[in-house]
Amino acid sequence: MQFLRKIDTFNKNSRKFITYFSFGNRNHKNIFKPLHISNLLVMDKDNNLMQEKFVIDKEDVNELLRSFMKKYVVFAPVEKKHGVSFQKIDDEKNLCLSYTSTTTPPKKVLYPYKEKLFSFDLSKSEFFESKDNKKTIIFGIHPCDVNAILQLDEFFSNSMEDVYYTARRENLIIFAINCNHAGENCFCSSLGTGPFLEKGYDLLLTDIGEKYLLEVGSDKGKDLIQGNEFREATDDEIEKKREVEEKALREFKKFVDFDSLKNILEEKYTDEIWEEVAEEGTDNSFPCLSCASCSLVCPTCYCYEVFDYIDISLEKGSRFRELDSCQLLEYAEVAGGNFRQGRKERLRHWMMCKFGFAAAGESSKCVGCGRCIEACPAGIDITEVARRLGERNG
Amino acid sequence: MKEMDNPYAPNMAVIKEIIKETPDTNTYVLCLKEKKFNFRAGQFVMLSLFGVGEAAISICSAPAPSKEFALTFRKVGMVTDAIFNLKEGDKVWVRGPYGNGWPIEKIEGKDLLLVVGGCGCGSFRSLLMHIFMDRERYGNVEILYGTRTPADQIYAYEHEKWRSMPGVRLLRTVEKKDGQKWDEHIGLVTSLFPFIKTKPDDSVVFTCGPEIMMKFVGLELIKKGFSEEQIYLSMERRMRCGIGKCGHCQMGTKYVCKDGPVFCYSEVKKLPDNLISEV
Repeated sequence: MQFLRKIDTFNKNSRKFITYFSFGNRNHKNIFKPLHISNLLVMDKDNNLMQEKFVIDKEDVNELLRSFMKKYVVFAPVEKKHGVSFQKIDDEKNLCLSYTSTTTPPKKVLYPYKEKLFSFDLSKSEFFESKDNKKTIIFGIHPCDVNAILQLDEFFSNSMEDVYYTARRENLIIFAINCNHAGENCFCSSLGTGPFLEKGYDLLLTDIGEKYLLEVGSDKGKDLIQGNEFREATDDEIEKKREVEEKALREFKKFVDFDSLKNILEEKYTDEIWEEVAEEGTDNSFPCLSCASCSLVCPTCYCYEVFDYIDISLEKGSRFRELDSCQLLEYAEVAGGNFRQGRKERLRHWMMCKFGFAAAGESSKCVGCGRCIEACPAGIDITEVARRLGERNG
Repeated sequence: MKEMDNPYAPNMAVIKEIIKETPDTNTYVLCLKEKKFNFRAGQFVMLSLFGVGEAAISICSAPAPSKEFALTFRKVGMVTDAIFNLKEGDKVWVRGPYGNGWPIEKIEGKDLLLVVGGCGCGSFRSLLMHIFMDRERYGNVEILYGTRTPADQIYAYEHEKWRSMPGVRLLRTVEKKDGQKWDEHIGLVTSLFPFIKTKPDDSVVFTCGPEIMMKFVGLELIKKGFSEEQIYLSMERRMRCGIGKCGHCQMGTKYVCKDGPVFCYSEVKKLPDNLISEV
């Protein structure tokens, strides 16, 4: 069997994906390793892409979910009083597949907001590592969030592998669903991260009206639905998917072009827009409150803080990491000062990071989910800032 | 369940010796329990004490593979405060080495001007040890070392030895005598610049110390005809991981831990969130 990586680039002019295959990753920076099965597509003996497409009844989804719950920990969108969120699900009746966006991103499944790195025993000067390796399915995840996971995969498995993340990732199956509707704040279509998914899934659903189109993206996905007798999709049904996608693409109201900002990166550090957005407020937003909501809800924000806790015996304790945010004052603190003392610098740092110009490069880039716009109590809109920065370039 | 490939898993080290450098700075000679340790001058380790936390500290000993290595640091934060309470024979935890280190290949056959300030930065000693181990490969070494008072001069017990090395010149300065015995220069480290013998052509400048000092070192040297490309700075940020994950040390498109801590002056000038670029 041969493993190949499918690579998609989004051509903005034709608004289409160009797909090609390659060993290794986009930048050829890392040695390719078949770690994240979701990124891989399986080839048959004649080197044809084994992409199977089935059609299933909408009720079958519940049946599938029920069978998954017997063997796996399943995270799925669940409707709560104040919105939809990814939760461990044990009753398929709670499933809410018609959501637009969840309040918090599904990164918590792979990268909990707080997790134990290891525990230690001072009296013996020993330490014990902790890792959890439960087989998990994330069900009903949207294309933007899958793309965010692909970015985090690259980030956490590069030169210094984060074993806590990769252990969970190897045990994760991605069962995604394409978006038939764009939300108020969605702009994934401009970034090639949605509304329809082209890579990174093990299984993928598309609502094509009466039924769901079910596509298999990997061996893992194929194994998962083994034993079910699904009808293969007809050409008409596959065509229907394209129609639904085109319809969804027409619904977008927000657009961005982050790549064009790259050439003007250095000049933009001193742009007066940062002062305006962070300290003065614009026509559409209040000054930044430095509340860090934007990075908390961002599916690609990964920064963390490390804490040691010691228990009441003063002998045993644990080292934890917890999601941190560059929007908080303490983040860039050093002995005797702070390199991002002002909200202006902090907001600039975060936005630049989301434009893809921070140290993690493209791995922490925005995927256009719109959660930060939704969550910002001051009404700051990253697409507006990007647009104005671009316009100033002339 | 111990796995060797976990980058967050530290190794145990025993404090072999504590050398008192200044009233608030000590050098700790550490001995690793398990494996040997190979590093470049200018790299750092994450030093931790369970129950307290971790801190990035640059290595100050000779960069030769050994179980033993030394760290010099000031008592300035939670971790260093706690370590100052330890004694010889106590255990600490380290992981590393991390960072790029000084670009030593750039100074082969060239003169080096080394501008050092304060007592928090030991990596220049590691660099000197490296040069002294293979003296013929490098040109003249001129060291400018400035501290607040005479008592703040670290490695003072080695300064005469450095001065006796062939082709090494050490100029020392203090901001104020503070009632102590001192018959050398008084003033900021930049006030030594009129006495520099290193010529801008065919030389390289390495500088480490407080960022505000490095800013003026850069500005003054450029006035003297040095180019931005021949000046290298060792930056310092608070870090949580040391391996380019936690995000804390980011300066724009660079991680200080992974892409640094040593950067070319021209590179730092383009990055935000530091005193050199003032952006």
